Amino acid sequence: MIDIGLLTNVIIDILTFVAIYLILAVGLNLQYGYTGVPNFGLALSAAGGAYMTGALTGRIAMTIYGVGEGLDFMSDNIKITELINAHLSHDPLMGILIFVLIIAIAMVINAGLGYIASHPAIKLRADYLMMTLMAMAEAVRLIGTNYYPLVGGTFWVLVPDLFAWMGDMKRVGVCLIIFAISIIVFLAVQAMVTSPYGRLLRAVRDNEVTAECVGKDVVKTRTRVIIIGSVIASLAGVLYSFHLQTVLAAAFTRTDWTFWPWLMVMVGGPSNNIGAAAGTLVVILARRMIIYYKHYFEAYIPFEVIWLEQIMLGLALILIMILRPQGLIPEKPTRVRGLPTKLLQKLREESKET
Amino acid sequence: MIPPLIKDAVMYANLLVLLSTGFTLTYLTAKIPNFAHATFAGIGIYVTFTVLRIWKLNPYIAAPLAFMMGAGLGAFLYVVVIGTLKKYGATLVSLTISTLAIEIIVLAIINIYADYVRNTMGLISRMFMFRYADFEFMDLPGVLIVSTALAGLLILGFHLILTKTKFGISMRATIEDTALASVLGVNVELVSTISWFLTGGLAGLAGSLLPLWLQGSPLTGERILISVMASSILGGISSIYGAILGGYLIGLTEVLATVALMDTLGAWVSAYRLLIPLTVMAMVLLKAPRGFVGIIEGIQARGLSLRSIVRLKR
Repeated sequence: MIDIGLLTNVIIDILTFVAIYLILAVGLNLQYGYTGVPNFGLALSAAGGAYMTGALTGRIAMTIYGVGEGLDFMSDNIKITELINAHLSHDPLMGILIFVLIIAIAMVINAGLGYIASHPAIKLRADYLMMTLMAMAEAVRLIGTNYYPLVGGTFWVLVPDLFAWMGDMKRVGVCLIIFAISIIVFLAVQAMVTSPYGRLLRAVRDNEVTAECVGKDVVKTRTRVIIIGSVIASLAGVLYSFHLQTVLAAAFTRTDWTFWPWLMVMVGGPSNNIGAAAGTLVVILARRMIIYYKHYFEAYIPFEVIWLEQIMLGLALILIMILRPQGLIPEKPTRVRGLPTKLLQKLREESKET
Repeated sequence: MIPPLIKDAVMYANLLVLLSTGFTLTYLTAKIPNFAHATFAGIGIYVTFTVLRIWKLNPYIAAPLAFMMGAGLGAFLYVVVIGTLKKYGATLVSLTISTLAIEIIVLAIINIYADYVRNTMGLISRMFMFRYADFEFMDLPGVLIVSTALAGLLILGFHLILTKTKFGISMRATIEDTALASVLGVNVELVSTISWFLTGGLAGLAGSLLPLWLQGSPLTGERILISVMASSILGGISSIYGAILGGYLIGLTEVLATVALMDTLGAWVSAYRLLIPLTVMAMVLLKAPRGFVGIIEGIQARGLSLRSIVRLKR
């Protein structure tokens, strides 16, 4: 017999992770796939979003409900969160308001962070940008793990349960909310890349000089795309924190938050959002399977299974790039509103032949 | 006597020089930043661990072993991974992301080894430091003398190779213009493979010395990477001499500035040590993106124009 409860849990778990990483993958696809900006600092924005959630949700709710008089937010974190949760369990409006407020704050702050982090290298060659963003992401994690008042340094901080009012349906409800936001992000990015702005992005990617020659500001376009990408990635961090209801600063490593999204985009096919979604699904399923079945291996090997997982997914990326560099679903010609796709396909093939 | 702070700074700077020259050399030959570079140092760290804790021998025996392991891995990765990817038309970005994949794989292997040693032999296999196993000469720790000698040898060796040998000249040709060099009969692939062999070896060597003075862990290499990149960028990323200078400057600044800031602001600063090379890196990219190379060329160009003006006036 299949345990229904367990099965629901597994499905909710997979759906939530797919939704969160879909946001990251689509955001990266906008930057790398469509604009050719290699953002190696996705972990920066994800961490930025999560740290904002951890640092602010509890403090804002504390002020609103006036709980925790004389208590310290960090050292009495568990007690304060319990008090807040008691209030939130019958206050849906405030829960949703705080949720929206936190998302808004995280987006604004991460837009700034993305700008600052990319500013030194945005005008330079792509490799400088890769190194700078990667270093900046490490710096943000360093601050998170060491600055205690932010999210508890090497400890963690609890995030109040803004959806406590949903009662028994909470797990499903939160999963659906995260999924809905993920779909909205997907559709928004899709709308953006099929608009005239999307053609500008591809122009910047394919030929900077031509784009400059027709009067487009390449550096400004890149900066904007990095800012938009950072905002999108920060959403993933915020939602992840609300899903787990804790923020652990050290969790935002470059393996988990920069490399996995890159792997998803590479597997699915850069510059194709459907491909990015397919890649996300494949990688998340693979990772979750390893996690679910790891106790079968644990008895036989004298080390932690997580390292095998990393070796396998690292190898997967290299193999994908050798065997199928265009990804599962290759880039299609840009859809232009008002022009039939068949005509575009024909034009593209003709231009390839010449 | 030399204060311990200076010993600390010089030791760290020596290690950075060993790593940043390698990082620059891989960048020059493969045209990509090799994010796995500092992780090779992790291999060196665990070679020393094995030699000292498991075989119970002198830790300096680990140095040549670590060099060979790092070098072998470097050459293997260049030929098998980078070479194959290039053959299938990989772009610079996808090559770079593959180095990140390599970093993750190598890191996982080191972690597996550390877990294995801990679980089967019961040894502490993370966060170890072997200062006690080092020798002392004239009140100086042995690793300081060895690393300074190695860095000196490295500078001399690179200088001689690049200016006096045929291989050095073909290496410079490959770096300057790969296509032209191959037309002129330079075996570009061989030159690149040897470069990766050397850089992997140097990183392994740096790693093997590291636990004799600093704390060793699988993640140590990952942490040092930012300082290595900063040194390389400060040196102009396209010059080995620049990387040497950059390595010393970043290494000394990182240690000395942290201590100076700790004295003025408080001990909490030490946790944010990594922000110093990062700040230097950001400043360099903003103000002089080509580092020392750019600055020196700028001065030369200005000097030339001054000379020509003088000549014109005569």
